[in-house]
Amino acid sequence: MTALALPEKALADAVRGLPDNALAPNRAAAMERFLERGFPTTRNEDWKYTDLAAVADISQRWLENGATAPIAESLGDQVAEIRALLDIDWVVLCNGAIVDGMELAAGEGLSLETLSKLAHAPGYEHPLADLNAALLPDGLHVRVRAHSKHDRPLGLLIVDGADSGPGVSQARIHIELEEGAQAQFVEYHTSVGAADHYANSVVEMSIGRGASADFVRIQGRNGNHAQTHRTAIRLDESGTLRYSGFDLGGRLVRNDLDVDIMGRDASAIIGGLYIAGDGQHIDNHVRIDHRVGPARSEQAYRGILGGRCRCVWNGKTIVQPGADGTDAEQSDHNLLLSERSEIDAKPELEIYADEVKCSHGTTVGQLDDAALFYLRSRGLDRQDAVRALTRAFGASIVNHAPIAAVSGLLTDMVEKRLSALTDGDDE
Amino acid sequence: MLEIKDLKASTGDTPILNGLSLSVKAGEVHAIMGPNGSGKSTLAQVIAGHEDYVVTEGSVSYKGRDLLELEPEERALEGIFLGFQYPVEIPGVNNAYLLKAALNAKRKHHGQDEVDAFEFLKLAKEKMALLGMDPKFLNRGVNEGFSGGEKKRNEILQMAMLEPELAILDETDSGLDIDALKAVAHGVNALRSPDRAIILVTHYQRLLDYVEPDVVHVLSAGRILHSGDKTLALELEEKGYDWVREAANA
Repeated sequence: MTALALPEKALADAVRGLPDNALAPNRAAAMERFLERGFPTTRNEDWKYTDLAAVADISQRWLENGATAPIAESLGDQVAEIRALLDIDWVVLCNGAIVDGMELAAGEGLSLETLSKLAHAPGYEHPLADLNAALLPDGLHVRVRAHSKHDRPLGLLIVDGADSGPGVSQARIHIELEEGAQAQFVEYHTSVGAADHYANSVVEMSIGRGASADFVRIQGRNGNHAQTHRTAIRLDESGTLRYSGFDLGGRLVRNDLDVDIMGRDASAIIGGLYIAGDGQHIDNHVRIDHRVGPARSEQAYRGILGGRCRCVWNGKTIVQPGADGTDAEQSDHNLLLSERSEIDAKPELEIYADEVKCSHGTTVGQLDDAALFYLRSRGLDRQDAVRALTRAFGASIVNHAPIAAVSGLLTDMVEKRLSALTDGDDE
Repeated sequence: MLEIKDLKASTGDTPILNGLSLSVKAGEVHAIMGPNGSGKSTLAQVIAGHEDYVVTEGSVSYKGRDLLELEPEERALEGIFLGFQYPVEIPGVNNAYLLKAALNAKRKHHGQDEVDAFEFLKLAKEKMALLGMDPKFLNRGVNEGFSGGEKKRNEILQMAMLEPELAILDETDSGLDIDALKAVAHGVNALRSPDRAIILVTHYQRLLDYVEPDVVHVLSAGRILHSGDKTLALELEEKGYDWVREAANA
């Protein structure tokens, strides 16, 4: 397999064509790093099951087109629709550009700023993060001031899409929770438009001493679009993270969630549900690095797969030397509704400390025939019975999403996705 | 109501029912007794439509229709109810959801309006009171973490809600303490009517002290060996099953 590179000149032109702001020097450096390595390929163990050839192809065609694609016309409607679904404050990023919400909550312990204004040069030297930094017009910085508490979730709406010509967009969000701060975030990824689209986003979050973040990520992209999404979170002493991710759409989706536990008594509780049907590929990679102990982490993922699809789950927990008192759990349970669906589930524990408690479990199964017969014997037709059982399978993740305000929306979205999956559309 | 003729059924390569015939009329209560492995549960599962059991010969007609043609859910909608010997635990599927979905599926099938949340709750609570069940059970997963007795009461609750025309209770009395047994018997007796039939599959005579059967059958090696009135149950309790087998072989 050859490297998945992008043409240097076209990429350099695209980078030069971006708005001139404080991020410019950083873009050039990030581009150089990206050009050296290109996209990760399946030769890389971390990318063994996810081939980015399609993503490289969309990016190339986009560059050949002059690195522009008109914003999809229906994008505004999509934003309005999501606003109507969830009554919270939203910052809206359309094809990577911050278009709305910057005026929110000023002076209430929450401040929003652009990365260029802060001259915050995005770091994080991963090829996809470098590509993101190279092509980033600007990014969002969210600061939650020390000891301020926010009951109302902040929505981060990442919406992309073009009607013609392949589109590529980059979104970047940095979140900083200072000491003792408490906040909730709903990150919603969606896309519209008939053209091929590749969205590459990066979220970096630092959770200060004693601070707590509740986070729900919802991905409901168009079934023809691709996404790579990287989230890097740093947890300081006694910091708390409760994070749930829901992947319901997209054709090719790869999410990386990296959590570094930097301080004692920190806790990272992570859940995720992926639902895939015909033609979808959804890959979730989670890495939790326990650098000190005692601290606690939990990864609880579930997948529901129908039609011809493939999902990947890789949960890695690293316990560094000296991180005694680490308590880490991992699980990934999968329900396969069709014979043509495939799951590659891999838990990994790397333990270099002595006093630790670590466990992992993965399962792959089908619907329980006994339960199916029981429901049918009560008069539910096969489809309703299947739906009730698949819904029940996902319910433990849906019910544990850390933000009450989104539970109704999540229930509805999961129900809708499962209906499509079990109606035979995806079989 | 139910007419079974020379029924043969197997699971995998193992024949279990070997030419069983049984006729049950509306208004009747039949008890089917027999030793372990005689085919009692298989008969119940075949009537309910379990796919693991393949009918190789014979016929089953229910209200004049070929029952074996119908899917399990169609049988339920047409008024058949199986009380499971081992009710299945279904975590994440709410008990109330199942009861309401089952009730409304049946009402819809018979051209009736679906019940709303308020009517449903009123009806469910009424039936639960009858069975001495805590309404909290409505919000739990179906049979999830229920004790043996609670599961059986839950089966009877479903039966009471669905008001079947033909109820088959597969060892619903097994493993019950006396209070639970009385509650189950109460639920069964409340259902008795000239329009309905009930088949009690049981090991023990005990339940029949509370629910008086019209006919008692002895099943052995997949066939009905002997039928009689309620006194047959007492005789079986006293003498065991061997004498029936010997009498049949003689």
